[in-house]
Amino acid sequence: MSSSNVKDSSFLGGRIPPEIESMSKNLKDVDQELFRKLLKVVVSALEGKDCREVMKSVAESSVIPQERLSHIIAGMHRVLSEAIRIPASLLKQEAFKEDLRELRIPEDFITDFSSVVFGNRRATLEAASSQNDPHLPTLEEFKWRVDVSISTSSLARALQPSVLMQLKLSDGSFQRFEVPVSKFQELRYNVALILKEMNDLEKRSILKIQD
Amino acid sequence: MTSIIKETQSIKEAVNFINTVDVNKFSRLLSRIIQKLHVKGERTFSEEEEEKLQAALTLDKHALDLVLETTAFILEQAVYHSIKPASLQQQLEEIHLNSDKAEVFSQAWASAGPELVEKLKRNIFAPKKLDYVSWQLNLQMAQSSQARMKCPSAVLQLGVRNEDSEVQENIFVEFNHQQLLEFYDKLEIVQGQLDSLT
Repeated sequence: MSSSNVKDSSFLGGRIPPEIESMSKNLKDVDQELFRKLLKVVVSALEGKDCREVMKSVAESSVIPQERLSHIIAGMHRVLSEAIRIPASLLKQEAFKEDLRELRIPEDFITDFSSVVFGNRRATLEAASSQNDPHLPTLEEFKWRVDVSISTSSLARALQPSVLMQLKLSDGSFQRFEVPVSKFQELRYNVALILKEMNDLEKRSILKIQD
Repeated sequence: MTSIIKETQSIKEAVNFINTVDVNKFSRLLSRIIQKLHVKGERTFSEEEEEKLQAALTLDKHALDLVLETTAFILEQAVYHSIKPASLQQQLEEIHLNSDKAEVFSQAWASAGPELVEKLKRNIFAPKKLDYVSWQLNLQMAQSSQARMKCPSAVLQLGVRNEDSEVQENIFVEFNHQQLLEFYDKLEIVQGQLDSLT
């Protein structure tokens, strides 16, 4: 006896997004060649490339009216974005295919969708879509220098070491500042502390939070 | 040791004026000047305070300016050469400063001098200095493009301050585990360099 009689809700959630519903209605008499062309354009768009020219040429060379094409494109975009959102370890290929079958999408098209979501282009898609999410700047480049000032205009013999740091952040900004030795120790200590906490967190959270 | 103060005309003049000042008042003046010596670009006394000083010490504006400048200069020279208090006292007497004033100088230098030297040692040319370190560790659960993440993410807050300003500028940097490890490895290399200096 199987452990659950009720199938878990679709990867799309409780309610099927309208653009996906309308896509499946509009997929009648779309041949595989056209479907694949459209899918290719949508994948390019998700990767952040500008696809307007390509889209135009595909639309012009097709017999299907533009309005129907736009429903299909919108639906494809939504299916792929939603599928990519869920970590690959949690959404299994079979479950994904089942969910699409329930939407009455033809089997060949399901295979094509599947090869995008579970294929080797997935990593690029994930990286591209997370670019748009809000986040604080990350460290792109870290350059440093250790100086010993031997003499200054105020002190003939200073002999004081100090660290000069230059950070290049992902938002394009450069930050350059001096770090007195005592502050450097504080920084180093704190970073080590965060790393320890991260390790502890990673050991714990896997056990507590159920997916 | 060679004298740190040459007896120029203007020094002679200043010494004469200093010698007329009451020793207790001078002692207080000296402490105030020492406190502010490490701060560049800021007048030790406001205009109002200078006027009051003129009255209190019975010096006209020119005389007061000379006294303040010369006192500051003597202290700066003392710092620059890291002179000992006894040596300072002797040299001041050699330029004809009254012995009670010379003693006051030497005592003030003995008590406040070392701290002043430390402050100046730390004043190295750099636009900004790291003043404050703080952090936050978050467990990111999701974002628009990704659900069910459970990804630890740390935010490091670095407070930097311009040398002469009280305003702190905050730099926020985000790290995931891997990025933080890489950062730490680099910090360890810097530490290695610092260790090799001692």
